[in-house]
Amino acid sequence: MFLTRSEYDRGVNTFSPEGRLFQVEYAIEAIKLGSTTVGVRTRDGVVLGVEKRTQSPLLESSSVEKIMEIDRHLGCAMSGLTADARTMIDHARVTSQNHAFTYDEKIKVESVTQSVCDLALRFGESVEDEGAMMSRPFGVALLIAGIDELGPQLFHTDPSGTFMRYEAKAIGSGSEAAQSELQDKYHSQMTLEEAQNLTLRVLKQVMEEKLDQHNVELAQVTVDKGFEILDEESLKAVIDRMQS
Amino acid sequence: MPQQRQFNPYSENGGTILAIAGADFAVVAGDTRQSEGYSIQTRYAPKVFRLTDKAVLAVNGFAADGNILVKTVKQRLEWYRHAHAKDMPLRAIARLIQTILYAKRFFPYYVYNILGGIEEDGTGAVYSFDPVGSYEREACRAAGAAQALVQPFLDNQIYFKNQKPKPGQSHPTHLPLDHVLSLVIDSFTSATERHIEVGDGLEIYVVLARGHSAQGLSNIPGAQEISQTDEGERVFVVRRDLKKD
Amino acid sequence: MATASVYKGSGFDFSNHVRNEFLGSRGVKLPKATSTGTTIVGCLFKDGIVLGADTRATEGPIVADKNCEKIHFISESIRCCGAGTAADTEFTTAMISSSIELHALSTGRKPRVVTAMTMLKQYLFRYQGHVGAALVLGGVDSTGAHLFTVAPHGSTDKLPYVTMGSGSLAAMAVFESQWRPNLERDEATKLVAAAISAGIFNDLGSGSNVDVCVITKDKTDMIRGFELPNERGRKERKYTFERGTTDFHVNSERIRRLVAEESITPFESPEAMDTT
Repeated sequence: MFLTRSEYDRGVNTFSPEGRLFQVEYAIEAIKLGSTTVGVRTRDGVVLGVEKRTQSPLLESSSVEKIMEIDRHLGCAMSGLTADARTMIDHARVTSQNHAFTYDEKIKVESVTQSVCDLALRFGESVEDEGAMMSRPFGVALLIAGIDELGPQLFHTDPSGTFMRYEAKAIGSGSEAAQSELQDKYHSQMTLEEAQNLTLRVLKQVMEEKLDQHNVELAQVTVDKGFEILDEESLKAVIDRMQS
Repeated sequence: MPQQRQFNPYSENGGTILAIAGADFAVVAGDTRQSEGYSIQTRYAPKVFRLTDKAVLAVNGFAADGNILVKTVKQRLEWYRHAHAKDMPLRAIARLIQTILYAKRFFPYYVYNILGGIEEDGTGAVYSFDPVGSYEREACRAAGAAQALVQPFLDNQIYFKNQKPKPGQSHPTHLPLDHVLSLVIDSFTSATERHIEVGDGLEIYVVLARGHSAQGLSNIPGAQEISQTDEGERVFVVRRDLKKD
Repeated sequence: MATASVYKGSGFDFSNHVRNEFLGSRGVKLPKATSTGTTIVGCLFKDGIVLGADTRATEGPIVADKNCEKIHFISESIRCCGAGTAADTEFTTAMISSSIELHALSTGRKPRVVTAMTMLKQYLFRYQGHVGAALVLGGVDSTGAHLFTVAPHGSTDKLPYVTMGSGSLAAMAVFESQWRPNLERDEATKLVAAAISAGIFNDLGSGSNVDVCVITKDKTDMIRGFELPNERGRKERKYTFERGTTDFHVNSERIRRLVAEESITPFESPEAMDTT
């Protein structure tokens, strides 16, 4: 199996005879090494949760940033090579600001997701007079959460530039177990609090360490407050509520 | 001896446009004469264009710039439809026009624009622009050759400037459609009387919000419906002859 | 340099010239004169001359007068259409009309068209084009029917059909395609009306109605409003203000109080002049 691959897994823009782009597939594999990230959509808003794996007791857990704001109405959680995500989120932020500047309105969640996916495919050999380019696919998957005129929405993007809308989605190392748990417990009538509980429970199940306010990060996008990352105090309150 | 040569890329093609916003409709009108100096280039050059099912744009000034501007705006609307799977809302179109105009801050489109239509909240709206993109939402606006003749009339009849309500009464904030249409027609026939660049034909676009009946149009002969959305917005055009001298 | 003087002779008064030049150099714009941006024509026919004119007067792009009279009286059988600065055409033709009348009185003959033409061109030449009158002069005298144009600098043409003003090209197009020698009276009148209409509809400086003047040996017919192709239709609304809805009506009392009180004190002094 590896023999056949070796012929075709170097160039990022070379299909194998079976019609596969191995570098893209490897990039998708890279995400499975990332920390578990969960997103749950409700009618009141979208909840994003990530596990912050602390490799060392000396690490300042607050410096691990895996959920970021794109705009007042848009948030994003990542899994995989988080450094790559910076490029993508920078792009998303610029796209969103540009839209607001040009059209005096909030960009749609799907539109900003589409623009990120357009970027995801811009790898390969650079064409003449097109300066530095991404030479490999991005090794990161995103959960983009947001609210627009169509209501709260959750999108998943992967390195192939594919995006899909989900009610609830888990990515990263524990995603398989987490996804089946979500499938089991998710229902469309969920309140925001229930979604917070579900997110944390799913993370708790797949985490090796004991879950506390230092090794998880929780964020949400709501109609009233837009995007917000829960501070330690309110996160602790949510964890306590979930555990009771 | 140093010599200086000059090329003036602009000309002024006359005509007048005006728009009035109602509570749940908007009326945008323009004459159809296009002139240069004392010559008529054509008696029918439309200055008012339907952009979407809820937005109509009137363009006045240098005709060549106006035509390119409308073409550009229509193209941007099409791109927006493909990118975002919806028609661009009126206030977004207004902002878009500002960015297009300001992009040419130091070689401006020599045009005055008036945008009329229905906002997302269902209210009638009029936006007016200067040639480099300064814009404002208003209840009514006249622009072009006979602006100085028409705007004071509108100020008096729409904003009730220099009028006092009768004791115990107040001026209405919005006028009904048939009243507005008669003001528009009288504005143009009067401007035709006293301004040499106004005349030949009149095109009045009427945009109705959902739920607004076409009642006011029933006693206007020759009103023609040009589009209708599933949600119920309707766009009509009324064409009238103006004097041709 | 002309200066203000207590004594005023005849002719133009140049006493404000220096002041106005100074103002002009400081960027003060001169007031715009009303111009009859005009179509005027004339043509010869079997028994005489037909003159025609539109009736629009303009100030820049604004219509100053919708029905002005551009066919001026010189004498009973000589008339003159004027284009250009309204004041110049009116004043020049009126002045020449007076001179022609005096001339007729002193010679005891009916005035000739060439005489009027010569007076006009000499007057206009003297002012080097600053008197902005472009004229179509026509009439019938003892030597027959004559038709001239007089340009603002004083040059003249004698032709069987002529046009002047901003609509001259439109009108001339009609003459060039339809005029022929020995037209009947009503043919010539219709042709002149068609030429003026071409100006009215194709030249923005011309508009409103067609005035026509038919001059024959025995009779001159001045027909104001020979054609009225541009009458204003009915307005959609009435624009009268109800009593009490304008500032004037509401505050008429206050306005009345603006009239200053006046008291008359008889002037009496010991040195009062004896008027008895």
